[in-house]
Amino acid sequence: MAQPVSLVHFSGHNHLRNRLVLSILSGKYVRIDKIRSEDKNPGLRDYEISLLRLLEKFTNGTVIEISVTGTAILLKPGIILGGTLQHECPTSRAIGYFLEPLIMLAPFAKKPVNVTLKGITTDEHDFSAYILRTVTLPHLQLFGISQGLELRIKKRGAAPGGGGEVQFMCPIVKQVKTINFIDPGKIKRIRGVAHAVRVNPQFSNRMIEASRSILNRYIPDIYLYSDVYKGDESGKSPGYALTLLAESTTSAIYCSEAISEAGVAPEDIGLKATRALLTEIEKGGCVDEKHQTLVLLMMVLGSEDVGRCRMGEPTNKTIQFLRDIRSFFATSFKIVSADPSDPECSQLVYSCYGTGYVNANRTLA
Amino acid sequence: MDDRPHKAHRPAQSGNKHEKKEKGKGKQKQHGFNEKAFAPKSGRRADRQGRRNVERDQTRLHVPLVNRTPDDDPPPVIIAIVGPSGVGKTTLLKSLVRRYSKQTLNEAKGPITIVSGKKRRLTFIECNNDLNSMIDIGKIADLVLLMVDGSFGFEMETFEFLNILQSHGFPKVIGILTHLDLIKKAQTLKDTKKALKKRFWTEIYQGAKLFYLSGVLNGRYPDTEIMNLSRFISVMKFRPLVFRNTHPYLLADRLEDLTPREEVRSSKGKCDRTVTVYGYVRGTNLRLGTKVHIPGVGDLEMSGVTVLGDPCPLPTAESEKKRKLSEKKKLLIHAPMSDVGGVMYDKDAVWVNVPGSFTRGNTDVPQGEGEQMVMDLQDVNQTLEDRVAQSSIRLFGTSSQALRVDPTSSASDDEDEDDFDVSGSEEEDESGIDSEDDDEEEGEDEDEEIPRNAQNTGRQGRRTVTRSLPSSVKERTDIQYAESDSDLGEDEDQFTSRRVRMDDEEGDHDIPSDEDDEDEEAEEDDDEESIPKWKSNLSSRAQQLAENSRKPKRKDWTKLIYTSTLTPDEILHGQKQTEVDEDEDDFFQVKKKAADEEDAEALDKSKEPVDVEALKKWEDEEMLDSIRRLFITGGDTVGEDDEGTFQDEEGGFGAEDEDGEGGGGEDEEGDEAGPSHSKPKDGKLSRAEALARKKEILKRKFDEQYDDPESAKTDFYTEKKDEMAQQLALNRAEFEGVDAEARALVEGFRPGQYVRVELRNVPCEMINNFDPTFPIVVGGLLPAEERFGIVQVRIKRHRWFTRTLKTNDPLIFSLGWRRFQSIPIYSLDDHSIRMRMLKYTPEHMHCYATFYGPVTLPNTGFCAFNSLGADTPGFRVSATGVVLDIDRSAKIVKKIKLTGTAYKIFRNTAFIKDMFTTALEVAKFEGANIRTVSGIRGQIKKALPKPDGAFRATFEDKILKSDIIFLRAWYSIQPRKFYNPVTSLLLSEKSSWTGMRLTGQIRRDEGLKTPLNVNSTYKKVERAPRRFNPLIVPKKLQAALPYASKPKLMKPQKHMTYLQKRAVVMEPEEKKALALMQQIRALRKDQVARRHEKKEEKKAERAKKLEKEEAKKAEKEKEKKKDVMRIAGQRSKREAEMQEGGGRGKRRKT
Repeated sequence: MAQPVSLVHFSGHNHLRNRLVLSILSGKYVRIDKIRSEDKNPGLRDYEISLLRLLEKFTNGTVIEISVTGTAILLKPGIILGGTLQHECPTSRAIGYFLEPLIMLAPFAKKPVNVTLKGITTDEHDFSAYILRTVTLPHLQLFGISQGLELRIKKRGAAPGGGGEVQFMCPIVKQVKTINFIDPGKIKRIRGVAHAVRVNPQFSNRMIEASRSILNRYIPDIYLYSDVYKGDESGKSPGYALTLLAESTTSAIYCSEAISEAGVAPEDIGLKATRALLTEIEKGGCVDEKHQTLVLLMMVLGSEDVGRCRMGEPTNKTIQFLRDIRSFFATSFKIVSADPSDPECSQLVYSCYGTGYVNANRTLA
Repeated sequence: MDDRPHKAHRPAQSGNKHEKKEKGKGKQKQHGFNEKAFAPKSGRRADRQGRRNVERDQTRLHVPLVNRTPDDDPPPVIIAIVGPSGVGKTTLLKSLVRRYSKQTLNEAKGPITIVSGKKRRLTFIECNNDLNSMIDIGKIADLVLLMVDGSFGFEMETFEFLNILQSHGFPKVIGILTHLDLIKKAQTLKDTKKALKKRFWTEIYQGAKLFYLSGVLNGRYPDTEIMNLSRFISVMKFRPLVFRNTHPYLLADRLEDLTPREEVRSSKGKCDRTVTVYGYVRGTNLRLGTKVHIPGVGDLEMSGVTVLGDPCPLPTAESEKKRKLSEKKKLLIHAPMSDVGGVMYDKDAVWVNVPGSFTRGNTDVPQGEGEQMVMDLQDVNQTLEDRVAQSSIRLFGTSSQALRVDPTSSASDDEDEDDFDVSGSEEEDESGIDSEDDDEEEGEDEDEEIPRNAQNTGRQGRRTVTRSLPSSVKERTDIQYAESDSDLGEDEDQFTSRRVRMDDEEGDHDIPSDEDDEDEEAEEDDDEESIPKWKSNLSSRAQQLAENSRKPKRKDWTKLIYTSTLTPDEILHGQKQTEVDEDEDDFFQVKKKAADEEDAEALDKSKEPVDVEALKKWEDEEMLDSIRRLFITGGDTVGEDDEGTFQDEEGGFGAEDEDGEGGGGEDEEGDEAGPSHSKPKDGKLSRAEALARKKEILKRKFDEQYDDPESAKTDFYTEKKDEMAQQLALNRAEFEGVDAEARALVEGFRPGQYVRVELRNVPCEMINNFDPTFPIVVGGLLPAEERFGIVQVRIKRHRWFTRTLKTNDPLIFSLGWRRFQSIPIYSLDDHSIRMRMLKYTPEHMHCYATFYGPVTLPNTGFCAFNSLGADTPGFRVSATGVVLDIDRSAKIVKKIKLTGTAYKIFRNTAFIKDMFTTALEVAKFEGANIRTVSGIRGQIKKALPKPDGAFRATFEDKILKSDIIFLRAWYSIQPRKFYNPVTSLLLSEKSSWTGMRLTGQIRRDEGLKTPLNVNSTYKKVERAPRRFNPLIVPKKLQAALPYASKPKLMKPQKHMTYLQKRAVVMEPEEKKALALMQQIRALRKDQVARRHEKKEEKKAERAKKLEKEEAKKAEKEKEKKKDVMRIAGQRSKREAEMQEGGGRGKRRKT
């Protein structure tokens, strides 16, 4: 009856999220095996299972088959449904882990997305809720997804205990715009939030002081907010962090974040975040290093025109992502130096021909 | 009609007219219209006129659509010739081809491509009368020449085709009336033309172009008429259609079977085939890795796409100088399926027709030794293997000596020879292609070459047929070292793995996109004829090598990421490995590495861990200062190091522009500005220059705003158009300098390229039953369209389709590229609460249909059919509509009514039975609303223990025992998962595809009766007359009753009453009066009778007259019928003649 749908095959547990997202977007089946098969504790972790559950809820008709040992999964993607949804994230990973794939999928859903996630809002591995709100979502705006795009942080929840809550709202689009983002511009403003939950509120001020000691030399337009949550909104565990972002004249955004560590003074945390931001600024490009994959994905999904974006050198994750994109969408990027005449220039221009991806899930009338 | 000679005009020599003319001769003719005549007379009028003009301008605007077809070197325009059989399609095709290419086709099959102008090529294709072909053609044709027999009128197929066009995006249509010479009377001709034109206009649009072709001369239409038509075609403009603008597709003009012969033989021709199709890419870019759909065959995987030399190229710059198309170009024609130029491509062979040549049966001609040998070879009807099996081998029947060879060695010998042969021939072909590629060099002899090239490109695929592919490829890699590298065939890069290709280019060490490098390569190409490649650029290489050692090497990211097998980590850090292990042993390296690296605890995280050591550098003040230039405040204080200067400048521009996107123009400027500044210069100088440029930009901006503030503001429409144009320009510019292979990798194959698409696992029937008169369309699918799901559409039964459509009856859809049969469920939105199933489609109204099928983007139009067969009477398009929604499940419900009866009734409570069978079911429905026929509402309360399924219910009033209790419920249904592609191209009898039969058809075929539920039949309601017993009041009681209440029954009177029995005696006057009255009445009666009689007479007379007239009319009718029959006889005679010439099919009068 129906012809077999093409299947893409991977092994290893790395890059699981991106592969699942690409599979759902392209509609190709994906089979991932040898997931920690050599490990003492083989198979999928609890947060990966939770992610699969979330994706199953987020879509209609998705079939996920997990082998008995948990070392192999087969995903037969359905259509992206969207709508209102709640999910309890396990405390082994932060909310950012779950929200990132949703952000990639949400614009192509059938219904506008309204997802509430509960769990840890800030940890050392994943984007904190604040970065997602102030950096990731503006990157979507480059592609014409802006009206009604919002992330509300209702409760903060620091690392071990969690107890935070965020609400993510995203409109649906027919097609994302093609970008042509070559000019990184110059940094015109720096913003930041120092937040502290269940610790001395003075901590956030100390971080800000330290950060300002470096940043004040560059530009005057620096606002670092101190954000202290109390009572019910502060989650279950103590913690604090400093998140910084710098915006350029062409609205390129760089960000950095440092979170509390045991036995480290808040000033050092502040300095760490600030220096990380400076590193990021020095690397340059139009897109923050951590958001390369998101931007590249949206470029591939754009209309059938050439999209260009200037970025730094690809990271590990980006390189694998580019390869995965080719196996799912049969599209590859042209990557050339941003400035061929300058041998020192480490920035690259990524250009690709969009696949003309149209949101087929959207209902007409 | 015009064969009568007209009288020549003789101008008046004298008189009024003559004088007037004489007077006019001296005056100068006025050019243009008289301005005074059209000036508005009043302000109000001027205002109105102005408004009208503006409104008219608005109506002229269309939604701006991006045209994906490139302006330079576009694919040929597809012109389909469509019409019922016997209308003159082939004649028109031949006439048009002759008009353009001066060649007479004997047999026109498949697409025929010709060059019509300097910028335009045309592909003509004739559409046969099969509905499947019409659907496929309707989806790809850019222009339809719709032929209508003028002497006969419109036929059903014409309207069907128009409806198909309408639902798949309306291409341009030109109507052509033929057989007008059959109408003898001038007046009739005029009337017919008028009537047909009127009908045509209502069908297409008011003012649609309609051509009239009169008669046939020498098997062609008159040259002048054809020329007029061709002029119309050449100026035609095409608006992009949405579906075609989002999908790549090609119309295959050639088809080859590449399956190894041995495999075909061993499977008796039943194995799946490897097939190549050839054609121009149209629509959008065709990408490898996506699937294609061939309507009539199915979804297929593309295993390789290769760009071939254009078999019918547009004239190049050299001939551009002339205003007209050169005569040589006009001779160009590409029609592999027809027998043009004596070369005919059959399904699995190429026939070269040499006139007056040797034929086999011709035994009386003396034959030479060579001929004899060839004929003997043809006689061999056993394979070599079989022969080897026999003890003594004789290669030819006539050879005297038996061959006696070791079987293995002989086989290998043979193979070797063959391989050598093949590679040699392929080289030849390549050179053919190459010479075409760089035709600027070969200037003038290109023209002579082209026909040969076309043949070459044709042959090359053919030659590889007998070969098993891998072996030939191996051969190639051996040979390619002997030849020059750059000559490596484009035709087989799918076999020579990318790794190999990367290895033998020196490009590993440099950047291929670098322009200098490109130039170098071009030079090398020029030189390569004389000097071996490796020698040619020794010096430059040495230089490069030296350079390489000097400067830090830059990675070629594209290559590293896409063509190497290195892990991301190795690409980023492990450089030492990568340089060495490009060879064959890298496999092991990678494996080891991967094993090492596979860290089970490596997290899939988005934040890279911050390297604390690396951050230490920021403690240094100088380091902190070095990035000041990246901030707006540090813009003009130039950084110390000179490599920072350039970046600084560019940043400066960005800040100036202020617009976030950084429009294409500015970027280009910035890029171009780059190289000029790259040379290490004095910092001051460059700064001054930068300042100057900045000033200039500012000045220009100011000038623009100051001089003409209005010009900066454009309306939405032009803004959008500009945006599109800009994007298109960028699209072109971005990949201009990239080499073809990399370009194909990134952007796919552009529209206009002639490609060869290799398809695997093609059903063998497609090859076995190949018929060039049926078009082969290769439609590219979007990633979403490869999937299946539940498709919801808005559908409307066609008003000319006579029957209603029934839920769960199969319907054939033509949707997207596909034609398939599926089982729809019709539904209507019930107050936005639920989707309610309908048994039948409503009349004159849209409804929804939901079926299982391939996903198609919402807003795609479709049409549906009950059957595609030619023998279907009446109009075949049964419905049209548009896709609304794609999902994996459907929410359709149908109404179900459960009934029960009350068996015990209390006041408002009743016990109901017969609605359910178990208490469990009742439990499920507790609280549900129920209702009696009379409208008393109630609710289910609780199950009762005793009769199974009985329950207690409460009502708003006391119900009767005779009341039937209803429970209205909704039962959700899912469409059946049935998808049956119309595989018409796989059949030997293409138009006889039969799918799943409709319910009614099955019953008819099987002789079954429609099942009839006895309880559902309508029977006559027989109500026995109600009989009431007489009311008897006992005598005793009667007596006791008061008078008013006593029954008062009286018997009828038996005696005559007084009035009846009295005698009347009249007075004489009264008697007289009575007599008079009687006389008057008698007179009146007589009068009426006579009048009636007269009327009867007149009626009879009139009847007689009518009868006479009737007879006259009948005579006339008879005459007319005779006439009609005579014409029909002539037609059928003509048709019979046509049928001898291949035309077939039934003619159905609308």
